[in-house]
Amino acid sequence: MKYKEYIKDKIFPIILTILTLFLITSFLIAFKLEIDKIISIQIIFLIFIITIHLYDYLRKRNFYNKMNEILEKLDKKYLLQETITKPNFYEGMILYDTLYTCNKAMIEYLNTYKYNIKDFKEYIEMWIHEVKAPIASILLITHNNQDKNTKKIKEQVKKIENYTEQVLYYVRSENSSQDYLIKRHNLDNIINNVIISNKDDLILKKIKIEIKNINVTVLTDAKWLEFIINQIINNSIKYTPNQGIIQIYASKDNHQVTLTIEDNGIGIPKEDIKKVFQKTFTGYNGHITSKSTGMGLYICQKLCQKLGHKIIVTSKQNKYTKVSIIFNENDYYSVLK
Amino acid sequence: MKKILIIEDDTELRNELKILLENNNYQALTIEDFKDIISKIKTKDPDLILLDLNIPNINGVFIIKELRKESTVPIIVVTSKNTEVDEVISMSYGADDYITKPYNPTILLLHIEAIFKRIDGESNIITYHNVQLNLSNSTIKNGEYELTLTKNEQKILYYLIKNKGHTVTRDDIINYLWDNEDFIDDNTLTVNINRLRKKLSTIKLDNIIETRRGEGYIIL
Repeated sequence: MKYKEYIKDKIFPIILTILTLFLITSFLIAFKLEIDKIISIQIIFLIFIITIHLYDYLRKRNFYNKMNEILEKLDKKYLLQETITKPNFYEGMILYDTLYTCNKAMIEYLNTYKYNIKDFKEYIEMWIHEVKAPIASILLITHNNQDKNTKKIKEQVKKIENYTEQVLYYVRSENSSQDYLIKRHNLDNIINNVIISNKDDLILKKIKIEIKNINVTVLTDAKWLEFIINQIINNSIKYTPNQGIIQIYASKDNHQVTLTIEDNGIGIPKEDIKKVFQKTFTGYNGHITSKSTGMGLYICQKLCQKLGHKIIVTSKQNKYTKVSIIFNENDYYSVLK
Repeated sequence: MKKILIIEDDTELRNELKILLENNNYQALTIEDFKDIISKIKTKDPDLILLDLNIPNINGVFIIKELRKESTVPIIVVTSKNTEVDEVISMSYGADDYITKPYNPTILLLHIEAIFKRIDGESNIITYHNVQLNLSNSTIKNGEYELTLTKNEQKILYYLIKNKGHTVTRDDIINYLWDNEDFIDDNTLTVNINRLRKKLSTIKLDNIIETRRGEGYIIL
């Protein structure tokens, strides 16, 4: 609160006061009072007037300055009312009560959204669990009744399955969910599961799998990591020509384990590489194959963030694409052990 | 024949699962009405249970808990709930294995097979005429002759003997090896088969693996 602005705001009462003083002085002169008495009345009058304004200014300044200070520091500005103390002057109380009402309305509004999102998330999760039953049925039916179309159907079902998983993990990654559990897991098992589930595509495209040194344990959630690696391998399969090579290897140093999945496919153009983790970014490669949603890597990165892993992509066009996941050894966890 | 009990509320899935198991030489039992399920399971007296955790009105974990009070029958949890927490809870109450839907049927069969092998402590020696293939130390014996095979060679030979009398395509072998976590390619398969044949001929088993041109391989 600036005093200049305050005076400007009070200009009308100030003019009136001066006018009153002027009128009183004129009367007193008219009544022929001695000049020194007039001056002392004027001084007393002015002292009272100034004190009244000063008092008003100071208590308002205290309140508003503190409020501004808090407002600046606050990250959720709509919570302002809860952080200030109720002022002892009338206007301030009105402001305080108004803020209280606004704040309450805002929180109620936010809550309806929160509950809507929560309901939506629960519905999506339920739906995904439901849809897995018919997908499982289709896989069993085609397995039990093999004919020339079996492979084609399986391929399509695999796609449905993959898209469904993407939605499930998107929902999980966007919400503060407690669906994960960090434990020690061997990379070996997780990677084998992913490769086996992509067996048909890999064999069909005659892609060579070279696995080295993955008998390493890391702290992670096995299901989430399986999803992440599956997305990466799916990309590799999509962007690697027939008879390509996918190498999977891990390295370990004191504080971290790095898992790298490297293919010798078409690679990612330089100008696209920084954007691969952006939501719905498809880039040059996405346009050639026209099968890209631009969600896979975005979700992977989100999940990695939650699990405390780092994910890095490097590539050289027409040479290779390398995706590395870095797992930190957690000191807290080793102390517990 | 091993009796496998399917506890699954989705009719279609239950029927197809039944067909799958019967096609693979198991006796498949089903429960259609889940009232009083624990006693129903007991009267069926299965050798293994495939349990869906999401049966309406019944807590799957409760079933595991109740069964474990007096039975050690192997339980494979088959569910669409795919969080780590669900898995840990199921296993901690005594489930033997956990597979998420939608599963690859071959993988499901492998898991079932693995559990039976574990509990029966099934002999790891496969015999074919005079030949004995020992799966635990990868040796093969033909009368007095004996030699050691590599893991891949052993798996290929095992698969061919298991399907004796039937032609096995190269694709079949590759698929089988991949399901068993050996991700070999076509060229490596050729190398492996050639080496296997050469090895077998040193223990007087020439031409045991016949080639059916354009089809695959067969052991008669």
